[in-house]
Amino acid sequence: MRRALSHLGLILAVVIVIFPILWVFRTSLVPPQESYSTTILPSVTLDNYRALFAEKNFGRNYLNSLIVAILSVVVTMPLAAMTGYAFARFRTGGGLARFATLASQMLPPVALALPTFMLFRGLGLTNSLTGLTIVYAAINLPFLTWILMGFFEAIPEDLEGAAMTDGATRWGAFWRVVLPVAAPGIMAAGVLGFILSWNEFLFALILGGSNTATVPVALASLQTSNGVQISNVAAGVSLAILPLMIAAKFIQKYLVEGLSFGSVK
Amino acid sequence: MSEIKLNKISRDYGQGIFGVHDVSLEIETGEFMVLLGPSGCGKSTTLRMIAGLEETTSGEISIAGRDVTRLAPRERNVAVVFQSYALYPHMSVRENMRFGMKMRKTPLDEQDARIARAAEVLGLQPYLDRKPAALSGGQRQRVALGRAIVREPDVFLMDEPLSNLDAKLRGEMRQELVRLHRRVGKTTVFVTHDHVEAMTMGDRICIMRNGCIEQVGAPLEVYARPRNTFVAQFLAAPAMNLVPATLTAAAGAVTLSAGPIVGPLPAREAALYAPAAGRALLFGLRAEDILTQPRPGAQPFSAVVTALEALGPENLIVVEAEGQALSARVDRHFLPRIGAEVTLHADLAHMHLFDAASGDALARET
Repeated sequence: MRRALSHLGLILAVVIVIFPILWVFRTSLVPPQESYSTTILPSVTLDNYRALFAEKNFGRNYLNSLIVAILSVVVTMPLAAMTGYAFARFRTGGGLARFATLASQMLPPVALALPTFMLFRGLGLTNSLTGLTIVYAAINLPFLTWILMGFFEAIPEDLEGAAMTDGATRWGAFWRVVLPVAAPGIMAAGVLGFILSWNEFLFALILGGSNTATVPVALASLQTSNGVQISNVAAGVSLAILPLMIAAKFIQKYLVEGLSFGSVK
Repeated sequence: MSEIKLNKISRDYGQGIFGVHDVSLEIETGEFMVLLGPSGCGKSTTLRMIAGLEETTSGEISIAGRDVTRLAPRERNVAVVFQSYALYPHMSVRENMRFGMKMRKTPLDEQDARIARAAEVLGLQPYLDRKPAALSGGQRQRVALGRAIVREPDVFLMDEPLSNLDAKLRGEMRQELVRLHRRVGKTTVFVTHDHVEAMTMGDRICIMRNGCIEQVGAPLEVYARPRNTFVAQFLAAPAMNLVPATLTAAAGAVTLSAGPIVGPLPAREAALYAPAAGRALLFGLRAEDILTQPRPGAQPFSAVVTALEALGPENLIVVEAEGQALSARVDRHFLPRIGAEVTLHADLAHMHLFDAASGDALARET
């Protein structure tokens, strides 16, 4: 009885969380005139998706988002891994460097948006995916460094000691032992960085143009003077959360996996 | 030849804090040297300094006649077995063993031959393709040993390798390690806080405290003649009984007064310790030298039993007399009631005397 009650409570909580997402998905599948009806599925159509790609150039936006999010992680990851390792093992820069890394995450992005815009306009990096990638890499770097530092700290130092007495250099121990052992953490950090870039709106809006608009910017632009095109928005949102759902599945798998699985007792 | 020489090595953490202070020690080729001491005594730090994993702030370390003080760990040709085993979790048992040889560019067929040999010696053949996570603690321990053996290093360094095993396995591995050492014959430094491991495994043991060496010697020699109260108490469980004592010399006889134990010393001890008459001393007697039956030279005393541990092959009892608690290792059939008064006999032929202030043993010839 107790179990049944707690399950009932949990089911209710899940419904509360998941219902809006399901309703958005439902709205993306019904004709625009049915968007606000209370019927669950009056008729099913893919017209909203078709319109999004045919009329709104959503494919371009989607591709932009993917390019920028993936590239920013690829650029950041080696730097974040090495910095995080240095922080974790050698206490490079001491407490101050750690604090500065964390502090950079506390600045409101708006404070950086205008100076970045001025700087990038001078460099000709506005309205370019390169510019956006650089910004996202810069935003990701301290965040991923912080996360990876935690993962590296959890790896027993003896592993490197073993590798180094076995004949590896410090770099060799990092490359052949620490990195493979930290792989789950690096994957998880990469996915988090991807999500961060994928969802970013402010810089994409300020630095981007029509060709370089990312998914969040494109979705915002569906809010027109003729009202919100809710069926298109619903279709866009449904597509936008797709990579996040895949990422969430990934990250769960890697975060659950132990870090030093069986290397030390 | 692969002797290890430590010449006044120190590890200074700054602000006057030393992990290891001015330690000098010579370990001969093929010797099994045990570094023994309580946690924080610097034994692991010493081992890590030999391995090159810990910086040596002053002094010199040489291995096989070569000064390695400033060399990287990989240039010292030592193999370390860690307490945590530190197996590479992403590699199979075979790859774990291969790693060091790969780093040293050992020919591939030689690698395979050595892995096969080590696997046979250690009984690891069925597990060669498993990952460490799929092994038991004892098996991981063997892999860690195997990884060290296949490297064929000059020196084996083992940092409490048995402390994560259960008691039965620890006993087996102890014997196996000794057998392995005889077979391989390599200079070995073995760190432990377990006096049983030290006594049973070491050719010599080196007892450390607060970053310094207290005594070095063959196990039985150190056991029989501890240099001070620290060594005396650390090298046995229960620890050596210590009782404040004085000696009185009168008319050619020397009388001991140590709590409940009062009586004349046997002739040999009397001659030896007579000069210490009148000084503040500590009388030391090991638990097995408190007897239940009289013996020539043993001084009877009565005491009240306060605790009894029946271990099976023998019993440990704690008795109290004149405010002094004494432990005794007695026959398994000797089972007094708690609170009972018993007569015991202190075997003065095996007594020790220490200076009460410094804790140093009074000079004693063979």
